[in-house]
Amino acid sequence: MGERSEDKRHAPQPAGADSRGVGSAHKPSTPPPDLRRERDEILQSFTRGARLTEQFAAEHERLRERLLLLEAENAQLRTQLEADDAVRRLLEKIEGLEVEKRELLSRTERAEKETSQFSARFSEVETEFANLANLFVASNQLHASLSPRGVVRRIKEVLAQLVGAESYAMYLCNADGSELVPIASEGVAGEQLTAVRVDGSKVGEVVRNGTAYVDEERDSSRFDMDDPPAVIPLMVDESLVGAIAIFATLGQKSRFSTMDFELFKLLGQHAAAALVSACLFSKAERKLPGLEAFLDLSV
Amino acid sequence: MSEYSCLIVEDSPMMRQLLVFALARVKNLRVTEADDGVDGLRKLASARYDIIVTDINMPIMDGLKLVKRVRSDPTHKDTPIIIITTEGSLEDRQRALQLGANAYITKPIQAPQVIATVKELLKIE
Repeated sequence: MGERSEDKRHAPQPAGADSRGVGSAHKPSTPPPDLRRERDEILQSFTRGARLTEQFAAEHERLRERLLLLEAENAQLRTQLEADDAVRRLLEKIEGLEVEKRELLSRTERAEKETSQFSARFSEVETEFANLANLFVASNQLHASLSPRGVVRRIKEVLAQLVGAESYAMYLCNADGSELVPIASEGVAGEQLTAVRVDGSKVGEVVRNGTAYVDEERDSSRFDMDDPPAVIPLMVDESLVGAIAIFATLGQKSRFSTMDFELFKLLGQHAAAALVSACLFSKAERKLPGLEAFLDLSV
Repeated sequence: MSEYSCLIVEDSPMMRQLLVFALARVKNLRVTEADDGVDGLRKLASARYDIIVTDINMPIMDGLKLVKRVRSDPTHKDTPIIIITTEGSLEDRQRALQLGANAYITKPIQAPQVIATVKELLKIE
């Protein structure tokens, strides 16, 4: 375009015109009308070209600005898109974490439940172990002595230390089985402790029936000789030979426990047997039977 | 892992056996038995113990006297002491605690309670 304007500027002069203006200085002349028209046309064309160039330049500038704007907008959109992607990824991540969290919570809950069950079971086993230890110790102690006095002392220990009995008496039936005679006691005044009839007494009733009596409802620490809170029949080789009556338990113990029932069973089956064995051993002047005593067992 | 030592002072063989059974459930606890307060003091003179479990009602020297003697001995004055007795009254409990006992368990003893008390005083998990 510029080249063309240049061309126009160096367009051949009309014939007779002095390019240095010498002619006009000496003799002003008016160009012929066709040349004037051509000049005007060239000028117009030049002006149009200049205007067009300006318009092109302006358009170019506008387009450049528009391009810059679009590029900026594009960059912004790209950033936003990236941000949106990041947010989407974050949301997905959050969702994944939420699922994981729910799973972990569920697992924690299950683990806590299992721990709780395990603790309860552990506690049960510990209690069971303690009960078995009590029974083992009681049984072990009942048969640890071969002197009647020693056996009675151990029976009393089981009652006092393991059952928590404060007042109690151990009765054995007399020869005809009509009376129960106290052979050992604790926490009972001497004058109160007398033989009782098998007929017409709580202790006698238990000996007749062969079934232990334990009152689980009342406060066992309240002393009552006529209606003891617990009476345990004593057996030797399936024969009823006496009873242990508990008149009151220690102040801090107002109810019998499951363990006490187990101890009552143990005492019922072992106490009298241990006592009878000790008496027989004592009568035999503490001499162990010879081997011949065991040879006829036919086992 | 630390090993702990416990001295049981109890005149009743049955109670001693019960306590030994109960304390066997505590890991790394070595148990020594004494028949009464005098025997207990004798054993304390020859060794150090991390905890003492003693009955109150004993012949020759009862548990309260033993607590008093132990607390006046610089070697054992800080040793935790658990009193075990049939007495359940507040007065006896207070007396034992005033003399320096750290805990008080009444008979009939429950093994889990003995174990828990020993563990607590020895700060065993």
